Amino acid sequence: MPTPASRTIRVTVNGTAYERTVEPRLTLADFLRHDLTLPGTHVGCEHGVCGACTVLWNGRAVRSCIMLAVQVDGSHITTVEGLAVDGEINPIQQAFLENHGLQCGFCTPGFLITVTEMLEHNPDPSDEEIYDYLGGQICRCTGYQSILASVRAAIAKTKVSSAPS
Amino acid sequence: MTRIPNRIEDLPTSTPRFIGKEVERVEDRQLLTGKTEFIDNVSLPGMLHCAILRSPNAHARIVSIDTSAAESMPGVMAVITGEDALRWTFPQQTVPEGWGTLSLATDRVRYVGEPVAAVAASSRYVAEDALEAIFVEYDPLPPVVDTEQAASAPPLYEDHDSNVVYQRKFTWGDVDAAFASADKVLTEKFRWHRLGANPLECNGVISEWDVVDGTVTARGSFQSQVNMGLLSAAALGLPSNKVRIISQPHGGSFGGKGGPRGTIITALLSRKAGGRPVKWIEDRMEYLAGGAGQSWDRYYEVSLALQSDGTITGLRVVLLDDLGASAEGFGAVSAAKPLAAFTGPYKIPVAEYDLTLVATNKLPQSPYRGMGPPPHNWVLEQMVDLAAVELGLDPGDIRRRNFIAKTAFPYTIPSGNEYDSGDYVAALDAVLEMSDYAALRREQEEARKQGRYLGIGLVNTIEPGVFDWNAYAIVGSQQTGVPEGATVAIDIMGKLVAKVGFSLEGQGQYTVICQLLADYFGVEMNDVRVLPQDSLAAPPHFGPGGSRLGVAITGAILGAADQLREKLLRVGAKLMQVQPEALELRDGMIRIPGVPEAQIPFAQVAATMLARSDLLPEGMDPNPQATYVWTAPGRTPADEHGRAKSYLTAANACHLVLVEVDVETAAVKILKYFIADDCGTRLNPATCEGMTQGGVAQGVGAALLEEYVYDDDGQLLTSTFMDYLLPTIYEVPMTEKRALVTPSPFTPLGAKGMGEGALHTTPAAVMCAINDALRPLGVKAHEVPASPKRLWALLQNAKA
Repeated sequence: MPTPASRTIRVTVNGTAYERTVEPRLTLADFLRHDLTLPGTHVGCEHGVCGACTVLWNGRAVRSCIMLAVQVDGSHITTVEGLAVDGEINPIQQAFLENHGLQCGFCTPGFLITVTEMLEHNPDPSDEEIYDYLGGQICRCTGYQSILASVRAAIAKTKVSSAPS
Repeated sequence: MTRIPNRIEDLPTSTPRFIGKEVERVEDRQLLTGKTEFIDNVSLPGMLHCAILRSPNAHARIVSIDTSAAESMPGVMAVITGEDALRWTFPQQTVPEGWGTLSLATDRVRYVGEPVAAVAASSRYVAEDALEAIFVEYDPLPPVVDTEQAASAPPLYEDHDSNVVYQRKFTWGDVDAAFASADKVLTEKFRWHRLGANPLECNGVISEWDVVDGTVTARGSFQSQVNMGLLSAAALGLPSNKVRIISQPHGGSFGGKGGPRGTIITALLSRKAGGRPVKWIEDRMEYLAGGAGQSWDRYYEVSLALQSDGTITGLRVVLLDDLGASAEGFGAVSAAKPLAAFTGPYKIPVAEYDLTLVATNKLPQSPYRGMGPPPHNWVLEQMVDLAAVELGLDPGDIRRRNFIAKTAFPYTIPSGNEYDSGDYVAALDAVLEMSDYAALRREQEEARKQGRYLGIGLVNTIEPGVFDWNAYAIVGSQQTGVPEGATVAIDIMGKLVAKVGFSLEGQGQYTVICQLLADYFGVEMNDVRVLPQDSLAAPPHFGPGGSRLGVAITGAILGAADQLREKLLRVGAKLMQVQPEALELRDGMIRIPGVPEAQIPFAQVAATMLARSDLLPEGMDPNPQATYVWTAPGRTPADEHGRAKSYLTAANACHLVLVEVDVETAAVKILKYFIADDCGTRLNPATCEGMTQGGVAQGVGAALLEEYVYDDDGQLLTSTFMDYLLPTIYEVPMTEKRALVTPSPFTPLGAKGMGEGALHTTPAAVMCAINDALRPLGVKAHEVPASPKRLWALLQNAKA
């Protein structure tokens, strides 16, 4: 089988600029995990259903397992590694910690990224809107109750932290 | 004599600050930031990547395999087939013995997805390219797909004359007499379709075969590393101490991360590639078709003997279970597990279990959370509901009439296990009160007047906890006891390290260890660090499984802590010039009780052991470290009828669910869900609640959504998550829970195993509710999952 012609792409991930030469068939998830050694983005199904691999692509939540690295040439990507600053977890992560919003933690990066996108667009979502966002993320451990509590707590935290002083 | 407290109050602390409290988990910061080292995050120098070629046929002879084109592709370093497996390995363990294959098919494939060849290459992409260059010629054979016909179908194995893997009838007590003298006998059939674990992370392993040393090191997502080490060594033909297993944190398991097949295949590839490490990361389609994700493919016929007042006097269960193409791994164990709680929470005096396990051309079964009781509990609870209907009793009242009384413990059930403690009436009453049961019944009645079909499921179950190998004597297990060890060390600065033989899996046991040691020595949880050891370095261990680890590791940690306490008292006695018996450890101090100024911090005593040999008692072991291996007390070997004191604890729960069935679309909606759960002392109540809720989710999946479907040719039709449906937040109810606490008299701190209980209970609760909803229409939903397609057909038949 002929090796496909490689292409050079430039992408900013969590604020750091990278230039890499990749095969066109390389998935975005594999590019982030293995080429850039950012393995916090987890791959649960490789066909876009479970949502564990969700990252932000120019601010939009996308499934990195069914995108190709060459598609994000020239873009900004945020992964779970981009949420904590200097090891200090952010209010969404803090809310999941305090509310036991994870067990094995494998799906968690996808949930955190999805909640990040939701709160960017809608800082005060209703339960129905929360369900809309989380409905595409699968967690096999928690039964979602503690995740829902975590998201509600995250909303409360981010509302406080973004309130005018 | 090592002392392990049975109550939190007996810990050497005036005020427990951590154990029994909802503390934050020590595992979580790493997980929340993406830093946890799951197996696919690990990369070793020179590492190659494995891809596995799998059978597209359910049943066929392999005529030829040509790997030459694949071998010559750039980047391909090794290719293996069944020939290599035949030359270098032995068949995988099976239960019962003699029903297995090598890790790669040799002359015959027996299910779609069975590994036929494997490649190690410079990347997974190159390895998958190479699979397309391997040419296998198959000569298809008729597949055995119909479970009920499997026994009489041509045998799948040359050395067996039928496909019956196991058949035996167990009779515990005079069952014939109970049925002959019954006022009423009810008999019904049930069908539970295949479903399975599906952790979000599939399997993964990196194996290195040191060709000079003759040793194998395998890192992977292994639930029980010691078990994996023994199984792998046996299959690889290596001495047990030549195979070292390193369990990485894993993204859930639920029973399935135990099969050694991937380890054997990658080890062989490593051997062929001159010892370079070889990584295999199972993808989801491999998992669904060929992984450790299918369990419980069951046909039941169940009979109850009843007196007219509702007393249940006998239980008969006839089970036909379709094991799939082999009995590899734990095989028949899941059909044996119900012996640990065969008659549920009821004082049914006699019982019979007529058990037949058959082989077919489907994926071999694997363990799944609960192991065997979830289907068993459903058919038992559904029968109790049917008995209530037959006798005109309320489902709560018939259960109450038959419960084992709280004064009757320890209580031995007909199948031999002993329940430690419980108060089943309290759990039932709690749920009736939480749900306002009478009001729910009125609501149901009102709804029916409007043509809406609401149903209430009210069930009680037992969760056998702290598994023991003796529970599986009937299928060949010869062991009694499951050791779990821990080493606790105090360093020269007074900080603690606990070394254990298991990795992170999601249940928060590292947090429990930190809670225990922080309270035991009067320090902060952050002063304790938990480090996993590999399978050869750790004390004897098993790890998580059978709702055991919370209890077992508490025993191991408290045992080691007690031995440390004794050492500290001996040294403290020398320093304080008293007898050791005059001292106690309390709140982190070695002290003379009642003399406030006569005390030394434990850390100072430990440091003395390491840094002031001149101050130690003569002959003193100067090591502030202790190892303790806990095993459940009082276990007995099984008798010829499989009866043993097996699982140490019996947690119990009562679930009530209100559902609405839309009789036009056959969709089931869960409207309300209440749980009263008694798992003894709760070491971390938040974790217990999370385990219960997670089990509810899997139970809803089992009752309504999840099903592996094979067609008549043995092809899997549910090979993606578009077809195999996992529950999302839309399907899983947010439940109202109440914790009841009946401590175990037999366990460390009175805790009971509790990781599986909700999956034991929720399918039964949801199915009983659906049947309650549809009873006025004459519909019996006796097939799980109760998918819309299935319910719709039942509703149409009822109309016709």
